[in-house]
Amino acid sequence: MIRSISWKNIWRNKSRSLVVIVAVTLGIICGVLLIGIMKGWVEQRLHDAIYNEVSHVQVHNKEYLKNNELNLTVKNADELTGIIGSFPEVKGWVKRTKMIAMVNTSWGNTGVNIYGVDPEKEKQVTEIWKRVIPGAGEYLDESKPGNILISDKTAETLKLKQYIITEKVLSSLRSEKVPDLILSKLDTLKDVRFRSLKDFREALKGELKMKELDNYGKMIIDKALDYRIRNKVQITVSDETGNPVQGTFRVCGIYKTTNTSFDQASAFVNAEEFAELYDGKGVLTHEIAILLNDIESADLVKDKLADMSPENEVSTWKELAPDAALMNDYMVMYYVVFIGIIMLALAFGIINTMLMTILERTRELGMLMAIGMNRRKVFSMIMLETVFLTLVGAVAGMLLGWSIIELLGKTGIHFSTWGEGFEEWGFAAVVYPVITADFFLLITVMVIVTAIIASIWPARKALKLNPIEILRTE
Amino acid sequence: MKVIEIRDVHKIYDETEVAVRAVDGVTLNFDEAEFAAIVGPSGSGKTTLLNLIGGLDIPTLGEITIAGTNLRTLKSSELIDFRLHNIGFVFQSYNLIPVLSAKENVEFIMTLQKWPRKERDDRTFELLKAVGLEDRINSRPAKMSGGQQQRVAVARALASRPKFVLADEPTANLDSKSASKLLEIMEKLNHEEKITFIFSTHDARVVKMAHRVITLEDGKVVSDEVRE
Repeated sequence: MIRSISWKNIWRNKSRSLVVIVAVTLGIICGVLLIGIMKGWVEQRLHDAIYNEVSHVQVHNKEYLKNNELNLTVKNADELTGIIGSFPEVKGWVKRTKMIAMVNTSWGNTGVNIYGVDPEKEKQVTEIWKRVIPGAGEYLDESKPGNILISDKTAETLKLKQYIITEKVLSSLRSEKVPDLILSKLDTLKDVRFRSLKDFREALKGELKMKELDNYGKMIIDKALDYRIRNKVQITVSDETGNPVQGTFRVCGIYKTTNTSFDQASAFVNAEEFAELYDGKGVLTHEIAILLNDIESADLVKDKLADMSPENEVSTWKELAPDAALMNDYMVMYYVVFIGIIMLALAFGIINTMLMTILERTRELGMLMAIGMNRRKVFSMIMLETVFLTLVGAVAGMLLGWSIIELLGKTGIHFSTWGEGFEEWGFAAVVYPVITADFFLLITVMVIVTAIIASIWPARKALKLNPIEILRTE
Repeated sequence: MKVIEIRDVHKIYDETEVAVRAVDGVTLNFDEAEFAAIVGPSGSGKTTLLNLIGGLDIPTLGEITIAGTNLRTLKSSELIDFRLHNIGFVFQSYNLIPVLSAKENVEFIMTLQKWPRKERDDRTFELLKAVGLEDRINSRPAKMSGGQQQRVAVARALASRPKFVLADEPTANLDSKSASKLLEIMEKLNHEEKITFIFSTHDARVVKMAHRVITLEDGKVVSDEVRE
């Protein structure tokens, strides 16, 4: 009966209740979206950290991580990989040579980690091969010797990324319905080569009005972008004796992950060709990267390997990508803080509404106490009204929030304007929001707790009513 | 058998500089199945006396004993429970719960007393039939006339078979036809259910039907007439 009265009471003043319900709904939608975006980013960062950068577990020579010297190779690497392959938790593994190198072209130079890999085996462990930019060459191919795969960022530094408006570009822009007036203005820039985005943008600014640049600038830049694939780059590494040795590779493709820091420090070549450059005696293994079937097995596999191979250093993804691990570990805390802030704001609205309700119903509450409804039941009734009111908004908010997340989870949210900044930190410029069931459980608990806390003041106010004083006013 | 014993009860309000003696040395007894009216001019202490009898207010002096229980010995929470099980209330402004139907309003007290559903339903229907509202069981108060609402309030007051019913100006907001109908119903229920009814009233029709008329003036009983 108390539940029934409480439920009916919230619909007595429909417009006022609806204001609270809508406020709670909007609050929850915002919370769901915020958390969805955050979770999407964290999951993307975690996925990219594991599948592009560090895998689940890595094995190095104990000294290698402190001092990346050529001779600090994984001890008993062949024997170890044989054992690793037999672990049921392991999905795939690769051996890599990893050396710091200087890469230069005629127009620029930069320092990178060169990974000597088995291109086909690498595909089983990392997704770098999927990150080759469409139209910007191809992944390493064993049948095509002398190739190097570099990142978009490295290409930019080495001036292998250029912007040029060719007849083909103009024709492509025309097919995209760019007005002739704009195309005629671009004519003056035709076939001029710009080696940096900054220079190209400046040139466009000189030709186009600001509004034209806003409307068509991005499209023109995208179409004019041209990578100098097949260009030669020179690599310099130190050999066993510390003397510099040089070799020439051709750029076969340009890749781009969501982590600019990783990109600008990583280039990939065929391990056997790389070995000829620094030694000529055989492929060195500086790193064994292991991909597991389940991320939860990382510690178990680490422990097993550490026991079997105490002479090497075994690290899990948490140690190798501590930023991703930290975000993953503290995700629930972020949820609680974000939703807590939203709930705190909503609690004031709920308290205000319920106090107004109590004020309006003093006579009725006095009558209920007069005829024998005890204070505990009055308290429960007010509390239930608050919980129902909040829950209606929360359920609506969760359903709408979930629907929006489902939609955005497919289309993604584009943060192109700030994309470069995000990618400096390893976050994608396009985020696909994600929400899981445990979040809804958490938000339901938080909504109920908020409603109960918000109901205490109004309910206590109701308890302080004196029936005789209220009925005396009749 | 005495249902209510009031012994030298005083109620003094001293909220202002001058103390007001709302009830001044009242001694009265009410027996089972009485149909009594408390009359008197405005400010004579009728409502205050009803509130004291109903345990809604505490006497400044004197004792009120209901069915052997001295109200002064009960704590606030015990008083609420005592009212729930022993006293029915009918208010001038009906005071039904607006979100509940006639049926739900009547069974409210029984629900608080945890009556089994079957007994609750039977008693509710029996009372709504007795007050002539068996065809309005699902109507909410807003959809009923004042007279109908007050009949529901009477049914609610009687629902859990209290020792007595206190009615404060029950006909004050009703037209004469509705008031007469209500009084007939209350008299009938008083007779059938053997429950004591005590009214405070200005209404001559109520006074005419009462079996006992107690007149108050300045908080004192000036006459106590029992009619045959």
